[in-house]
Amino acid sequence: MSFEVADAEFVAIVGPSGCGKSTILNMLGGLVAPSAGAIEVDGRPVTDVPPRVGYVFQRDTVFPWRTVRRNIALGLEYRGVRGAELEARVREGIRLAGLEGFEDAFPATLSGGMRQRVALMRTLVVDPEILLMDEPFGALDTHTKLTLHAELLGLWEARHQTVVFVTHDLSEAITLADRIIVMTRRPGRIKLVHDVRISRPRDVIKLRETDEYAHEYGVIWHVLGEELAEPGP
Amino acid sequence: MSERGRVLFWRLLILVVLIGAWEWLTGIKAISKTPGLYWIDPFFISRPSMILRRFAYLAGGEARLSIWAMALSTVQSTLWGFVVGVSTGFAAGLVLGRNDRLARVFEPYFIAFNSLPRIALVPLITMIFGFGLLAKIVLAWTIVFFIVFFNTFQGARSVDADLIHSARFLGASQRQIMRTVVVPSTLAWAFASMTPSISFALIGVVVGEFLGGESGGGLGYLIIQSLGTLNAADMMVALLTLGVIGIVMALGIRQVERRLLRWRPEYRQGA
Repeated sequence: MSFEVADAEFVAIVGPSGCGKSTILNMLGGLVAPSAGAIEVDGRPVTDVPPRVGYVFQRDTVFPWRTVRRNIALGLEYRGVRGAELEARVREGIRLAGLEGFEDAFPATLSGGMRQRVALMRTLVVDPEILLMDEPFGALDTHTKLTLHAELLGLWEARHQTVVFVTHDLSEAITLADRIIVMTRRPGRIKLVHDVRISRPRDVIKLRETDEYAHEYGVIWHVLGEELAEPGP
Repeated sequence: MSERGRVLFWRLLILVVLIGAWEWLTGIKAISKTPGLYWIDPFFISRPSMILRRFAYLAGGEARLSIWAMALSTVQSTLWGFVVGVSTGFAAGLVLGRNDRLARVFEPYFIAFNSLPRIALVPLITMIFGFGLLAKIVLAWTIVFFIVFFNTFQGARSVDADLIHSARFLGASQRQIMRTVVVPSTLAWAFASMTPSISFALIGVVVGEFLGGESGGGLGYLIIQSLGTLNAADMMVALLTLGVIGIVMALGIRQVERRLLRWRPEYRQGA
């Protein structure tokens, strides 16, 4: 398989579970080496975790022993940001994530949605150029998910990072992405690359009532359905 | 009465009943022609009133070696053994826990040494380090080190790989990963071994004091000396003091644990 992601593009990868969506992301992030072929970021092959790449995991990876504030500060601390600048950027991050009032809370006291907000903001606060997201909202309820979609889109409109977003939720992919890559069952190959023709900025709630949304959903669902329906080998 | 008060009430009641029964039962004379024969002989287990008298004597200024000096000596050796054992055990656990090859190389040595009964080392340690403080610390260390080491090792191996990955994506160096991910996540495991460590440090020190003679003093010395003079009361004074020391140290550790692991849900309430 082969695909390219343009600068500032929001690409979603959807496919049946076990098709290797997450593996693609792990290869992009330098966590897993490809068995064949090459992965390049800005024309350079990926051999290790590349700089300027942020990764939001499906699992909750907020550090349980750090408060919200100190979780969001992590990336800045690693980069040697100290003192007033650190504090200002962390405060800004907390504000953007809507976590005011929870600065000194430990993750164990937060809901799943809030923890994922912390994880997202912790990644964004260091201003990555490329954002890899592996079903980051997979474990959340529909309402929380929609709220976070709106927030993610808002943050993305402001910065236009290059995003590769893996999900098995087609509505999520259509809501967020410019382009959707549909994968086949294992062994995963690219089945379809589809441009989402819905204008931005998008309203995550109203979007779902529009004809464009229904059309996009219909087209991709038909293709994805073939993959889900066929019996395994 | 609150739940707390009720528990406290029963604790105190049991204590009073035990002490009362002890005092009373050891006071019953056996029906016998021989005078001074008891049904339960206080010669062997002493009596609370006698123990209290001996304690007052040992705590006062008249005794050649006061109970305070002996307790202090025991506490000192125990804390040293504990601190040295915990820090080296934790460090070794971290290093080997994060380095598979090193762990495989050292595994048989650690297992072999750990399965030695530490008491068997006492004569050797005495030969090398003499009878002083150092010998007791070394003895306590040989026990504490392994308890902490094995726990830390397990903890360091089971650090969540996704947490390490996310730290790397946030730009952490290996050192920073160690400091911000591995150490905090391993601490919870290490703390599980702290309370037993204090008890074992105490065991090591008291065994060392059995041999140590008067030079280092200590409660172990009081026990051995009481055996020589067949003085059950003094022995009980030493044992009860050791019990109190054990409780105080365990409570102290729990306080530190509450503070360091306050992020864990089980410490959240009232912490």
